[in-house]
Amino acid sequence: MSNDLMLDTQIRDWVLVPLSVVMVLIGVLRHFVTKLLRSTQNPDIKAVKEGQVVLRARYLRGSANLIPAKSFRARRVYYNNEENGLLFVPKGQGNNMQAQMFTDPNMAMDMMKKNLSMIIPQTLTFAWVNFFFSGFVAAKIPFPLTQRFRSMLQNGIDLSSVDVSYVSSRSWYFLNLFGLRGLFSLILGEENATDDAQKMMEKQMTMQMGAFGADPAKTLGAEKDGLDLVQHEWALNRIEQRAEAVLKQLLDTPDFNF
Amino acid sequence: MVGVGDQVELDRLEKQLDAGRKDDIVKYIDLVRKLKVRRSEKVAVHGLALLNNPSSASKLGDEVWNVYEQVAIAAMDTNNLEAAKECIGALMRKFPDSNRVGRLEGMWMEANGYWQQAEKVYATLLEATPADPFLLKRKVAMAKAQGNYSGAVDSLNKYLETFMADHDAWRELAELYTSLLMYKQAAFCYEELILGQPTNALYHLGYAELLYTMGGLENLRAAKKYYAATIELSGGRNIRALYGVVLSGTAISQLLKQTRSRNEEESMEIVTLASSVLKREYKSKAPRKLPLLSPLLEKAVSAS
Repeated sequence: MSNDLMLDTQIRDWVLVPLSVVMVLIGVLRHFVTKLLRSTQNPDIKAVKEGQVVLRARYLRGSANLIPAKSFRARRVYYNNEENGLLFVPKGQGNNMQAQMFTDPNMAMDMMKKNLSMIIPQTLTFAWVNFFFSGFVAAKIPFPLTQRFRSMLQNGIDLSSVDVSYVSSRSWYFLNLFGLRGLFSLILGEENATDDAQKMMEKQMTMQMGAFGADPAKTLGAEKDGLDLVQHEWALNRIEQRAEAVLKQLLDTPDFNF
Repeated sequence: MVGVGDQVELDRLEKQLDAGRKDDIVKYIDLVRKLKVRRSEKVAVHGLALLNNPSSASKLGDEVWNVYEQVAIAAMDTNNLEAAKECIGALMRKFPDSNRVGRLEGMWMEANGYWQQAEKVYATLLEATPADPFLLKRKVAMAKAQGNYSGAVDSLNKYLETFMADHDAWRELAELYTSLLMYKQAAFCYEELILGQPTNALYHLGYAELLYTMGGLENLRAAKKYYAATIELSGGRNIRALYGVVLSGTAISQLLKQTRSRNEEESMEIVTLASSVLKREYKSKAPRKLPLLSPLLEKAVSAS
């Protein structure tokens, strides 16, 4: 192309390289800061217990017919009675995520720490890049691109006449921000704290879990209703006939080997 | 994931090791840990050799700490307390505040019989993590090792209050109750086990044996049914269940005769069938013992 821009080598030395180096260093720093701030979460005994109660009640519902009627009734009362049954949740005591968040300062603290370690460095570096390096054309990619990539690659330069394959310094910052993940997993090992995208995914996942599955009062209530509906019929009433059939078959097979 | 292939591989590596070739020792130790099998002697001997050889230990990378833990436990299991102490010491230098390493320290105290110190170690660890299942289980094991069965029952009940879907714990509790002769409580545990794993014949068998031991017409009948369930689930391959059916059948008919309640009928066909399966089995496996068995079985069959 005739109107090729000549990029000064000074730009390479004082914009492109420093920007990348700083991004990497900040990523590494952030990894260690999050590691430092991360508090080991102890699993909440109550939550564990609720999960286990549900599991055990499910077992009971699933194979209720295998234990004698008396044992089944005793267990049902144990789970479902209205005074201190394991599955019985008094009205108004079902705590949801929101309430938990307000009452448990640790949770809010944890979230704040996470947010701090993510947002603050990002804002700072963005401000820094904007202040020192705004308006530079920092690099040129070796292949042509369509106009649609202009907003991605030439953020901060409002010139429509510049070829799209030139990269502005601010865009270079963004490319580094999102593109260094592979490098970080090489430097810091697989599970590093810098992985923003993954973190966001996780956050969304937990939000959804909270919305759908993790309301303990509801799960317990559903399990209780299920247990109430079980019609107990001892499966062993005719077991002897079945066992006889098994033994007869065994006797009929000539010289069986154990 | 644990697969059948792993088991085969383990056996192959073990044979290779027994033959004196030590190239795959790392792989072997890894598999033992993965499959959770107890090969303490081999792990202790070869693992120590591995850890004491700096070049091979450094090849393990971060994995080395897992191996330290494994070898420490294996060494304690084989009463090589000095070696265990070295491993634990290395781990403590690396992870001074770790819960997991603290537990190892407690186990070392236990192995030495320093019960009070071990208790203290576990108590401090429990303060930090009150819901740690391993620590709660250690307390049970400690009480049991000291012969304090009722204490073990108490701790295990406390553990099960939270982790009530843990089959192995129910199994342990059932056995503890049985050895304390508290059959009703043990029966409850076996019911819980049957609920959790309804296709495991051994749980049905254990329940049947408890019911038979407790006695009484109702229990004996239930016992016979659960023996029958064991027979069905094991395809008639369980000798204990066959004996159980015969014995409980005889006991029931004796009880019925005593109370002269002729109107209550109990089907005894299964007793006859079970005794013929037993006879056939003895004939093929232990013909010399057959003369001891047949009169007993005939008496049982004719009585019923």
